[in-house]
Amino acid sequence: MEFMNELQTAVFWVGLWQIILVNIVLSGDNAVVIALAARSLPPHQQKKAIAWGAGAAVAMRIVLTIIAVELLRWPWLKLIGAVLLLWIAVKLLLPEDGGSEGVDSSDNLWAAIKTILIADLVMSLDNVIAVAAAAKGSITLLVLGLAISIPLVIFGATMLMKLMDRWPIIITIGAALLGWVAGDMAVTDPVVKDWVDANAAWLHWAAPVAGAVFVVAAGKWLAARAEAGHKEVVDLGEGSETKAPH
Amino acid sequence: MLKLLVPVDGSESSGRAVAHLIKKLGWFKDGAEIHLLNVQHQIPYGNRVSSVIGHDKLAQYHQEEGMAALKKAMQQLDAAKLKYHYHIGVGDEADVICRYAKEKGCDQIFMGTRGLGSVSNLVLGSVATKVIHLSPVPVLLVK
Repeated sequence: MEFMNELQTAVFWVGLWQIILVNIVLSGDNAVVIALAARSLPPHQQKKAIAWGAGAAVAMRIVLTIIAVELLRWPWLKLIGAVLLLWIAVKLLLPEDGGSEGVDSSDNLWAAIKTILIADLVMSLDNVIAVAAAAKGSITLLVLGLAISIPLVIFGATMLMKLMDRWPIIITIGAALLGWVAGDMAVTDPVVKDWVDANAAWLHWAAPVAGAVFVVAAGKWLAARAEAGHKEVVDLGEGSETKAPH
Repeated sequence: MLKLLVPVDGSESSGRAVAHLIKKLGWFKDGAEIHLLNVQHQIPYGNRVSSVIGHDKLAQYHQEEGMAALKKAMQQLDAAKLKYHYHIGVGDEADVICRYAKEKGCDQIFMGTRGLGSVSNLVLGSVATKVIHLSPVPVLLVK
């Protein structure tokens, strides 16, 4: 009956919404990577790469979720997780920088699968840390987070790209939310929890606010700096057609 | 020769704008230098996707999608035996269109009023509306 009781609390519903938003952002990126990596393959291999890629992402998320539940009870790990989350969140706000090298850009099936698997590992880890932070120890929320992320990874790429096109603000809100849950998680680490509860209970709301503000401010500032670096419009398809003798 | 920037996205509206341009090219005494431009959206998720996929692959993706969006306008101009240049940019449509017009010294922007995905503004597309506000040069809209 504990489960039914949990459903009736506001904390649960707030947590659920947080997890949905976290997944839109941090499962969506994984879906987009799989779709892009598979794109240059011949059609019959594309399906294979997407199926394997999504399958691996799902498997990694399940395993990592189980590990995360256990690990987050240990001292220091919530603090480390919070720092990681802040970094993930800031990165979401940075523009595509044009200089970064990908894992591999050759066009065969194995190269695509390699790209996908590395993306799955990195992005599943990020996703699970964020979901675990938002779930605040509730196993129900953790499992729901997992359940929501799976269809997003498998079917979500096109839909999510359209969603972000229409409402780019989702990314900023998502990043701010990650900052929020990071702050929330940091003050509940076993190392600091007792001290915070006894001496600085206000940190339970101040730390999340500070996390969210930090992420948005740092992200916007770094993005503005990067934008100023290359102001010129990049032309990807420069060319001319001269069918008619003029 | 007048340098015309013609933003297109493969939509019906941009097709009508190109057709109109072809028909009315006689307006310009010495003809016009036509620059087609398609603007592709950035991939969302900051640089999380590009740091895995690689910049080259993303550029290739934008280029392929851009060429597909340009195809219709290119065919129309080919059929009319007109000479043109084409370009693909990445970013916010109106922003890139206006920056492009400024950087490449275009004399006029010539575009349709309602491209793809502009439900937010039923009479005048949101891109066209924004271009009118930002553009450094005169804008001609074709309904």
